[in-house]
Amino acid sequence: MDFTRRRLLTTAAAASAAAVAMPNIMTSDKAYAAPLKKGEPIKVGLLFSLTGALAVPEEDSTLVLQYAFDEINKNGGVGGVPVEPVIVDAKSDFGVYSEKTKELILREKVTALFGCYTSASRKAILPTVMQRNHLLYYPTCYEGAECTQNTICTGPLANQHSQDLIPFMVEKFGKKVFFVGSNYVWPKESNKNAKIWLEKAGGELVGEEYIPLGSSEFGPVLGKIRDAKPDFIFSTVVGASDIAFHKQFKQEGFKVDSMPIASLTTGEIETRAMGAEFGAGHFLSAPYFQTLDNPTNQKFVENFLKSKYGKNGTTHYNMEETYLTAYVFKAGFEKAAAAVGFENVTPRAIRDNSGGIRVEDNISPEGLVWIDENNFNTWLKPKIGQCQADGTFKIVKAAAEHVKPDPYSIYPDAGTCTATGLKGPDGKLRTNVI
Amino acid sequence: MGNLYHNKTAQWLVYAAFFIGLALIPSFVDDAFLLNQLATYGVYGMLALSISLCWGFGGILNLGQGIAFGLGAYGMAMTMQMQSQSESNPIPPFMLNNSLDALPWFWEPFSNTAAGLFLAIAVPTLFCAIFGGIMFRARVSGPFFAIMTLAMLSAFYTIILDRQPYTGGVNGITPPSALQIAGVEIDPYSSTAYLTVLGILVVATVVAKLITQSSFGLVTQAIRDDAERVRFLGYSVAGYETMIYTVSGMIAAFAGCCLVMLVQYVSPAQMDVSFSLSMVIWAAIGGRLSLLGSMCGAFLIMGAQSYLGDTFLATWLLILGGFFIIVVRFLPNGLASLLESALGLLASKPKTSAEPNGDAKPVPAE
Amino acid sequence: MDIGSLLNALILGVSIASIWLIAALGLTIIYGAAGVINMAHGEFIMLGAYSSYMLQYYFGLPYLLCIPASFVIVAAVGLVLERGLIQYLYNRPLDTLLATYGVSLVLMQGVRLIFGSDPKYLAAPALFSSNISLGFASVSTFRVVILLVTALCVLGIWLLFYKTRFGVQVRAVMQNKEMAASFGINSSRIYMMTFALGAGLAGVAGSLFGVLAIVLPTMGASYVVQAFLMVVTGGGSLAGTVVASGVTGQLQSVFAFFSNDTFARFLIFVLIVVFLRFRPQGLFAQAGARR
Repeated sequence: MDFTRRRLLTTAAAASAAAVAMPNIMTSDKAYAAPLKKGEPIKVGLLFSLTGALAVPEEDSTLVLQYAFDEINKNGGVGGVPVEPVIVDAKSDFGVYSEKTKELILREKVTALFGCYTSASRKAILPTVMQRNHLLYYPTCYEGAECTQNTICTGPLANQHSQDLIPFMVEKFGKKVFFVGSNYVWPKESNKNAKIWLEKAGGELVGEEYIPLGSSEFGPVLGKIRDAKPDFIFSTVVGASDIAFHKQFKQEGFKVDSMPIASLTTGEIETRAMGAEFGAGHFLSAPYFQTLDNPTNQKFVENFLKSKYGKNGTTHYNMEETYLTAYVFKAGFEKAAAAVGFENVTPRAIRDNSGGIRVEDNISPEGLVWIDENNFNTWLKPKIGQCQADGTFKIVKAAAEHVKPDPYSIYPDAGTCTATGLKGPDGKLRTNVI
Repeated sequence: MGNLYHNKTAQWLVYAAFFIGLALIPSFVDDAFLLNQLATYGVYGMLALSISLCWGFGGILNLGQGIAFGLGAYGMAMTMQMQSQSESNPIPPFMLNNSLDALPWFWEPFSNTAAGLFLAIAVPTLFCAIFGGIMFRARVSGPFFAIMTLAMLSAFYTIILDRQPYTGGVNGITPPSALQIAGVEIDPYSSTAYLTVLGILVVATVVAKLITQSSFGLVTQAIRDDAERVRFLGYSVAGYETMIYTVSGMIAAFAGCCLVMLVQYVSPAQMDVSFSLSMVIWAAIGGRLSLLGSMCGAFLIMGAQSYLGDTFLATWLLILGGFFIIVVRFLPNGLASLLESALGLLASKPKTSAEPNGDAKPVPAE
Repeated sequence: MDIGSLLNALILGVSIASIWLIAALGLTIIYGAAGVINMAHGEFIMLGAYSSYMLQYYFGLPYLLCIPASFVIVAAVGLVLERGLIQYLYNRPLDTLLATYGVSLVLMQGVRLIFGSDPKYLAAPALFSSNISLGFASVSTFRVVILLVTALCVLGIWLLFYKTRFGVQVRAVMQNKEMAASFGINSSRIYMMTFALGAGLAGVAGSLFGVLAIVLPTMGASYVVQAFLMVVTGGGSLAGTVVASGVTGQLQSVFAFFSNDTFARFLIFVLIVVFLRFRPQGLFAQAGARR
């Protein structure tokens, strides 16, 4: 093989022509993680941006995961073995996300990946993760409509996120609502779900606007809102734009008492960045708030903030969801090790054994959650908080029951997501639908 | 005896040695990640080559090379996406999620792999021919053309973001499986993929090199140095400029296709202004007047970014920016000009007379 | 479609125009006078926002004083840059573009190292967080402030360029550097002053934008392309930039009113390309200016 190849290579053009015709030798379903040995640490990859525009939320994700693995290692590790996080910087660049994913999987041979904060970066790395049959823990809210066999998600899906928020706002402030979102897939999907809850609650949609990602000019949108006179605003604006939105809302003379913003994004870090005066009075739906009143959370907040990872001074929903992934991984790994033996644990085996895993009250700061056995998203209780003058949130409503994650709730025609693939209405099973 | 740097035979020999060296890499390296990464650098090299051709030889500073690159990449992604669709399931999932119930007309041809690949190259090439033709006939040149390409790039970026049902918006298109040509899958981590990219790079370089040495190339270089004089000599300046701009765009389109083949992913980030600007930086640092120099500039910077970037996490952009300023200020023709002067010194040593090329005003290419 | 909301959109258009104008003003002077394509302009805006933040946060300076202070600080940065780098590149316009892009990378990363990449918050007097209602239309006080500051800057520049000795010298150098030099004008000094002035104006823009939105190391990048288009469309003259910003700001607002913000941007970019195809010299090209 080598001999013939080298001879061919004397002229590069001929070589590449031959190479195209060469049969494929590399693709296989074999696991790309290193074979595990008892006593050696388990490597996992932390794929977040430490620099660039996404660094603000993602640096926190890296810190909280390091904290979680320290905590796990202190209490005996995973399956009796410590976890060693491999930290990389994705530089807020989707190309780098893709490159670093390959590096972690192919070179570092990690057992699982924890990463991403945006749908765009997740989509950028999923082809690699799926092709190598690996495992990605995706730790934040997203739109759903995906059914891959290589992910586990701990954030709320679009169908869970606004289920309580919309009826709550309609009841409290009135029927008319205006939707504002950043112009990409998650806000649009979230709004489709919100419309369903709105209809059920008897509300009325008086306008829907999307502004370019990163834009800070909300003049035209606020003008349309002024004309439409809604009773409240439902916002899925993200990042720096969200802060500009809240600031201009106040500058344009809108009053939070008569027309509050009900948001899926504006949490503790955002209010801190914009100044609490611009955030106060608005609402947020999330499974976690720093002010949640339970012993596990109090311990989590206290220990985390005084640890060396708590330098940014706050906890928030995205961090808590990220924190949970570490424990979901621990439970999944130990279950897989019990099923197939420690040395034979592959990323896919962890995933296949993760259905139904529960993170109990004494570990999960947001309270008990569990992984759905079919779509591997998380059953959780969304809560509604109102921002106070000091930038913290007061919980005004918590769901009584856990809400089921359903990635295809608004696309019943697409089929249902099962552990092995998307089962279409024609009965055919399709794997890795993204 | 002249400067060896300007000796055509020597140049061809260096090019041949360079590419043979690259082609031998898979025989020594058995690291799927490294092969894939090196192949990606090949794509960046292709882009730097296209900038060098257009800017170094044509004098057209193009800050919007991302247009041709991005269109090529989208064409390839659409082709690969359609390969994973079937009769019973003809519409890509992201479209279904955007409430489209039929495949848009301009997606139809991409169901056929050959047609899709053809369009992935033809559309950006045609765009460059039309846009370049219109602009150059209006005698838009220099900084103005640079700004126009920037505006056009921003327009493309915005519209792709906005038309989410057809383009996937900011998430882009993520074909779930690798490219298949005539039933054979090109695994992005294999030496097959590496050699495919290398093969295209070699062909592009040879074509570009031949162009620069042809009489056509001489006229474009004359236009670069003084467009008015060439116009007075009766040449169609706009025609030459359009031609070189289009060829350069075509190379960038090939680069776009290769990138998507390697990473199975495309997003508007490929049309981001800063990415197009970094292509220019590669060529400028490597030496825009040298095709090989530009390519090496791309390898050097992207390699440093991957391997030094993490070491100098916080200061990397500082280093890159500072280095770039120094090159522009003191070495306007890039690192390749260092080699040129070194070889020039060597050549002039035996003779004490003045250097043959030293004082000549128009910079000889390579 | 009622008249009131369309009127509101038109008023907003004036406000958007003033934002585009103040962003492009400094660039116009630098480009118009010296032919320098300053890719670091966005980062000058960012520096303006950060210097206001710094003065406010560490020295407790009232916001209204931060605006002129930012002018001085960023002008000083511009001065240093001009002396240290740009002055060597005046006869290589394309290279100024590249070198200033390098500068923009350095400035962005430098600020990130000093202040971190988390967003900062610039506080304005409570008075600015309100709006003025005119019955049929309403507009936020802060947008009026931006409009006033912009108008003030334009007036100031006009007076400086057309009513002072310095202005005569600048215009002389713009038209013919060698001829001006032979009349005893120190063209190098003129370039230095205009570059500093342009940078300072970007600083003013930054301290205004910091209140409107958010202070981030990357905030400048979004303004630079747009500012360039205004300058090129205007032809590099002050009047040209004013008219170009006015028209595009208004179009942006009206397009956004009828469709959405993203599509409005797309239309603007395409319209500018088409416009420049037929009038590459821009709206009001300076007679006799060297290109």
